[in-house]
Amino acid sequence: MPEKKISNNETPSSEKVRVGVYTCHCGGNISHVVQCERVAKMLGKMPDVVIARTDPSFCSDSGQAVIEQDIKELGINRVVIGACAPSLHEQTFRNTVTRAGLNPYLYHHVGIREQDSWVHPNDPEGATDKAIRLMAAGLAKARLLTPLDPIRLKAEKHTLVIGGGVAGLRAALDIAHQGIRVTLVEKSPFLGGRMPQLESVFPTDEEARQLLNKLIQEVTAEESIKIITQAEVTGLSGYVGNYNISLTQHSRGVDGVTTEALMAACTQETPDEFNYNLTQRKVIYQPYPGCYPPTPAVDWEHYDGKPLQVNGKPFHLKDEPHNIELTVGAIVMATGFDPYEPRQGEYGYDQIPEVVTLPQLIRILSRIPKGEPLTWNGHAVRDLVLIHCVGSRELDGVNQPQADGQVNNYCSRVCCTASLHTAIDMRQRFPNLNIYELYQDIRTYGRGHEEIYRRAQNAMVRFVRYHGTELPEVLPAPAGDTHPVLVRVKDYLTRGKEIEMGVDMVVLAVGMMPRQIDDLVKMLKISRGTDRFLLEAHPKLRPVEMSVRGIVLAGTAQGPMNIQESLSAASAAAAKVAVLLGQGQVELPPFVARVDESKCNGTGACVEACREEGAIAMQTFKENGREIRRAVITPANCTGCGACVGACPNRAIDVQAWTLGQYEAMVDAITMEIPAILENVS
Amino acid sequence: MENFNVDTLVIGGGIAGMQAALDLADQGFQTALVDHEPTIGGKMITLSKVFPTLDCCSCITTPKMSSVAHHPNIQLLTYCDLQSIQESDSGFRVAIVQKPRYVDAHKCTGCRKCEYECPILIPNPYDRGLGAYHAIRVPFSTAVPQTAVLDMDNCILCGKCEKVCPTQAVTFTQKPETFEVQTRTIVLASGFELTPLEAKKEYGGGLLHNVIDPLMMERFLAPTGPYGRVLRPGDGKEPTSIAYVQCAGSRDQSLGVEYCSRVCCMYAIKQAMLISGALPMAEITIYYMDIRTFGKGYEQFYQNAQAMGVEFIRGKVAAIHEDDQQNPVVKVELTEDGRVVERTHDLVVLSLGMVPSPGSAGILELPLGDDKFISVPAPNARPCHTTRPGIFVTGTAMGPMDIVDSIISASSAAAATSAYIRAHQNGQASPKPQEEAVYA
Ligand SMILES: Cc1cc2nc3c(=O)[nH]c(=O)nc-3n(C[C@H](O)[C@H](O)[C@H](O)COP(=O)(O)OP(=O)(O)OC[C@H]3O[C@@H](n4cnc5c(N)ncnc54)[C@H](O)[C@@H]3O)c2cc1C
Ligand SMILES: Cc1cc2nc3c(=O)[nH]c(=O)nc-3n(C[C@H](O)[C@H](O)[C@H](O)COP(=O)(O)OP(=O)(O)OC[C@H]3O[C@@H](n4cnc5c(N)ncnc54)[C@H](O)[C@@H]3O)c2cc1C
Ligand code: SF4
Repeated sequence: MPEKKISNNETPSSEKVRVGVYTCHCGGNISHVVQCERVAKMLGKMPDVVIARTDPSFCSDSGQAVIEQDIKELGINRVVIGACAPSLHEQTFRNTVTRAGLNPYLYHHVGIREQDSWVHPNDPEGATDKAIRLMAAGLAKARLLTPLDPIRLKAEKHTLVIGGGVAGLRAALDIAHQGIRVTLVEKSPFLGGRMPQLESVFPTDEEARQLLNKLIQEVTAEESIKIITQAEVTGLSGYVGNYNISLTQHSRGVDGVTTEALMAACTQETPDEFNYNLTQRKVIYQPYPGCYPPTPAVDWEHYDGKPLQVNGKPFHLKDEPHNIELTVGAIVMATGFDPYEPRQGEYGYDQIPEVVTLPQLIRILSRIPKGEPLTWNGHAVRDLVLIHCVGSRELDGVNQPQADGQVNNYCSRVCCTASLHTAIDMRQRFPNLNIYELYQDIRTYGRGHEEIYRRAQNAMVRFVRYHGTELPEVLPAPAGDTHPVLVRVKDYLTRGKEIEMGVDMVVLAVGMMPRQIDDLVKMLKISRGTDRFLLEAHPKLRPVEMSVRGIVLAGTAQGPMNIQESLSAASAAAAKVAVLLGQGQVELPPFVARVDESKCNGTGACVEACREEGAIAMQTFKENGREIRRAVITPANCTGCGACVGACPNRAIDVQAWTLGQYEAMVDAITMEIPAILENVS
Repeated sequence: MENFNVDTLVIGGGIAGMQAALDLADQGFQTALVDHEPTIGGKMITLSKVFPTLDCCSCITTPKMSSVAHHPNIQLLTYCDLQSIQESDSGFRVAIVQKPRYVDAHKCTGCRKCEYECPILIPNPYDRGLGAYHAIRVPFSTAVPQTAVLDMDNCILCGKCEKVCPTQAVTFTQKPETFEVQTRTIVLASGFELTPLEAKKEYGGGLLHNVIDPLMMERFLAPTGPYGRVLRPGDGKEPTSIAYVQCAGSRDQSLGVEYCSRVCCMYAIKQAMLISGALPMAEITIYYMDIRTFGKGYEQFYQNAQAMGVEFIRGKVAAIHEDDQQNPVVKVELTEDGRVVERTHDLVVLSLGMVPSPGSAGILELPLGDDKFISVPAPNARPCHTTRPGIFVTGTAMGPMDIVDSIISASSAAAATSAYIRAHQNGQASPKPQEEAVYA
C-alpha cells in the first residue's frame, strides 16, 4: 500500500503573523442580514489583522484578485474568509492563496451564510454579533495555522463500474477510451439492464436491443474492459485512488455439457422476470435471443437443486461462488432502477387481471405478431386506459405511503413520453383500439418529445385530465357488462365532469424506483436523497460525483432518466474519473492525526479509540538502547475524525490543521465579551 | 495575436462551454475557449438565484469563470468572432477575429477609472436594458476578464477615458486582428436566446408597458441588478399582482417554436418564490397548460410553491392588452370550467422559450434539426456527437436544458472529445503530465 507523505511542520514559522480578514456579502445572501462592514471594522481592530475588507463576492475573479493582491503587496501570511459554507468554496480560496504564493493551509474558512445569515434572517443585530464571534474564532485559529502539504498518493488507473445497464456500459467504454482500465461487474448473468426489455424507443424509434448490441460490441471489443457477470461487490476497504474490492462471482453452471443438451434436459420453470412475470421460463435460460453473453445461465435463486437427466444420466448443477480481489482508483455506481411495483389492489393491480403496468404492456405487445389484434386475458381489447403517474408525484395524505412510510413525490419523467410513444404504436397496429390517457400534466419536455405528444393527438389518442387529489378509480365491472373493467375519473378537460368508462384493459404508467442496494450503500458509506436515489454531492458544482471522493454516478441509480440522459450522465462520470485518475495520483487533504513523539508514552488508548482499519498502531522502537512503544499513524487510512485525540491522556495526538490548541483559541475567542475582544486590542 | 495550436477549441463561454473546457484542461489537454462577448459567463451570470436549490447564481458561476481564467491549460479568447474553418490534416484550422476593444488588454488593470469618467450612458444589455452603463466600461463587476471595452458606436471621442487611464491602455486606433488556431477538435457551446418579446402579437408584441421577459425579472431579483427590487418598468411602482404566462413562445406552432423549452415552468416557479420573499404581500398567478417539473427535486419545488400560496391556474392565455393605468389585462380561457375571463394584473412576465443563439452553425457547416438547434444524429447512442467527426455540441446549443443538464452535457462532451483526441493522436499534442508524483 502506498503511503501518504506528510510534511513535518512542527513549529510555526517564525515570521510575524499578518492576517487578512475578508467578509463576503455573498451577493446579498449574507449582507442582507449581517452588517458586513461592521464585522470588517471590528475584526480590523483585532491583533495581527493587517487588513479587513468586504466585497460583494470574494469568490468572483475580481474578489479573488483583491486577496491575491493583499498577499503580495501587504505581506499577508494568514487569510480568514467569512463566506458561504466551506463545502462550496473552501477549495476555490485555497487555489486563490496558492496562486499568490501562500501555502493553501494558511487560510481558514468561516461559514457565515448557512451558519448565520440564513438561519437568523429576522435578527440582523444578533446575526452580526454572531458573525463577529465566528470570525474572531477563525482569526484565533488562523494565527496558529502552520503550512501543510496535501497528501499525494499513487492512484490505481483502474475503475470499477457497478451495473451493466446502458449507463454502466457507456461509462465503462468512455473510461477505457481515456486510457484507464475498467472492471465492470454485473449482478445478473446478462448485460443490458432494463433496456433490452424495451422495443422501439423514443425519440428515434430505434430498436432498443439493436442499439444496445452495438454498444455491447464496442465494450467487448475493448481490451482494457473486463466484464464480470453474476457477481456482486462483497467487500470494500481503502480510499480514493486505492479501493480494495472483493467480488463474489457465481458459477454460470452450464460448463461441461453442451448448452443445447442442458437446456433440453431442464424442465423446471419459474416466472420470467424479463417479461415481468407474465410468462414462465426454464431455470436454465437466456432472457432473449441475441443476449450477451450468449451462453445460458442457471438461475440459482429459483433452481430447486434436483439433478437433470442428460443422456440418461443424472447431471448435478452446482454453484461454486468464488472471490475476486482487485484494487481500483474509482467506482462508478450504475445500479439502475426498478419499475414501481404497485401494491395489491392499487388501481386493481394484482386483483383485476385486466390491469397491467406499462413495462408489462411493452412485453405483451412484443409478443403479438404483426397484423394480429390485441387480446388480453382471453378477450379482444377495444378500449384501453393508460393511467399516468402511478407511483410518482404522490401526495402525502392522498396516496398510501410506501413501505418506508414515505410517498414517491417525484416525477419519473420518462413515463409520459413512454406512454404516448406506446399509444401511437398501438394506434398504428390496432386502428380500432380506443386509447384514453388519464394524466395530470403531459411532460414531454425533451428534444423531440413534444412532437410525440402531437403525433399522439393526431392519432386520436384521447386525453382525460385528473387532479392528483382526486385519483381515478378502477373497479371490476358488474357481471354482464360489455367490458370487464370500469374506470371512474373526474375530467378537468371537461369542467370536472365525472365520467365512467367501461374498458378492456388498464395500463399503469408506473414510475421508477432505485434498485435495492442497501448493502452497497452501507459498504461504500454513500448517501441517498429523500427520494431514495443516490445523492450527488452538489447538483450544480458536482452533479455526477458523490460526496465520498472517487465514487461517481451514472444513469438511473441517481434518479429517473431516459436513455439519452443516462448516456450523458455516464459519459460525464467518465470525464470525472479521467480527471481524477488520469495523472495516476490523487491528492488528499492533510487533515490527519499526528503524534507528538516527545509526549507519547505508549498507553495505546488511541489505538483502542480508533475505528478505522489500519490507521493507527503501536510500534516498538529502540532508542538509546531502550525499548519504547509509540503510536504510529498510517495517514492513508486516517480519516482525521479525532477519536484518538480525545482518548490520549497525554495530549500527544492532534489532527493537523484542527489541533486542540487551535480549538481552545477558537473557544476563547467565541466566548469573549465583544467589548473585551476589542479591549484586548490596545 | 500569434497563431497557435490546441487540442480543442470550445466555442461559447456560458456554463456549458466553461465546464467542457475545465474538464478537458483538467485532463491536461490544451484548450482554447472563445466567446464573442467581452466576458464569459453566458446567460447564467445574469440570473438571480437558481432552481432547484436557490443557490445564488454568482456563487456558482463566478468561481467557474475564475477557474477558467486561471487555468494553465486554457487560453481565453473573449470578444472574438469566428471567421472561417477549414479541415486540415490534424483537425481544423480556425480563423478568428479579435474585435477591437479600443483598450490594450495587456495594459488594462480593470481599475474602471475610464468608466467613471465617461460621460455617455447607454442601455446595459447585461441588465436587459433596464439599467445603463458607460460607452467604455468593464461589462460588470464580476466580468472575466476584468478588461475595459469601448463601444465605438456610442463614443463621442471626448478623450476623457484616454486621459484618465493610469496605464495608457485606451487606444482609439485599434483594428480588428485575425489569427489562426489549429485544433484537433471543436466543442460547440454557443447557447440560446429567448424567443423575442415582440414575437407574439396577441401578447402585445413587446409594446405593453408592464409586460416583461423573464430575464428582466431575473435582473429585478438579482442583488447585482439595477434596482435591487421588483418594480413595474412602466412607472416604477411596486407591483402587487404579478402573473406569469407559460409557454409564451414555446409549444406554439404559430411562432414556429413547436417544442417545449423545458426550463420555463421551473424558472417561473422559482421567480414566483423569490418575489414572494421580496414582496410578501404580492399575489402571484401562473397561467399554464402543463406544469413540467420533471427534474430531480423539481416536483417538490412545485409543491412548495403551491404551499406558499402561488396561484396556479390552468388556462390558455388568448391575448393581453393594457388598461388606461397601463395595467396588463389577461384574457384567459379557464380550461377547468370553460369560462373565458379577463384578469387585470400589475405586471405580467411572459415565460418565453429558448431558441438557438445565432451561433456558428453556419460557419461550422453543421446541419440543424427541425427545431433549428444543432442536429445530433444519434441521441440514444452518442448524445453530443454532431454529424462532423471531431465536432461536438453541448448545453443549450443542442436544445433547451437547465443548468444541471447543461453541466452534465458539458462533461459528457468533454469525455467524447478527449476520447476522440486520444484516438487521433499521432504523436503530437498529448496531455501534459503534472509535476512528478510525490509518494512516500
Ligand atoms: C416503461 C419504460 C419505457 C421506457 N422507454 C424508453 C424509451 O423509449 N426511450 C428512452 O430513452 N428511455 C426509455 N426508458 C428509460 C430507460 O429504460 C432507462 O433510461 C435505462 O434503461 C436506464 O439504464 P441504467 O443503466 O441506468 O439502468 P438499468 O437498465 O436498470 O441497469 C442497471 C444494471 O445494474 C445492475 N445492478 C443493479 N444492482 C447491482 C449490484 N448491486 N451489483 C451489480 N450489478 C447491479 C442491474 O442488474 C442492471 O443490469 C423507459 C423506461 C421505462 C420504465
Ligand atoms: C429567465 C431564465 C431563468 C433561468 N433560471 C434557471 C435556474 O434557476 N436554474 C437552472 O438550472 N437554469 C435556469 N435557466 C436556464 C439556464 O439559463 C441555461 O440552462 C444555461 O444558461 C445554459 O447555458 P449554456 O452555456 O448552454 O448557454 P449560454 O448561457 O447561452 O452561453 C452561450 C455562450 O456562448 C457565447 N456565444 C454564442 N454564440 C457564439 C459565437 N458564435 N461565437 C462565440 N461565442 C458565442 C455567448 O456569448 C455565451 O457566452 C434559466 C433560463 C432563463 C431564460
Ligand atoms: S413523466 Fe408524466 S406520468 Fe411520469 S410521473 Fe411525470 S408527469 Fe407522471
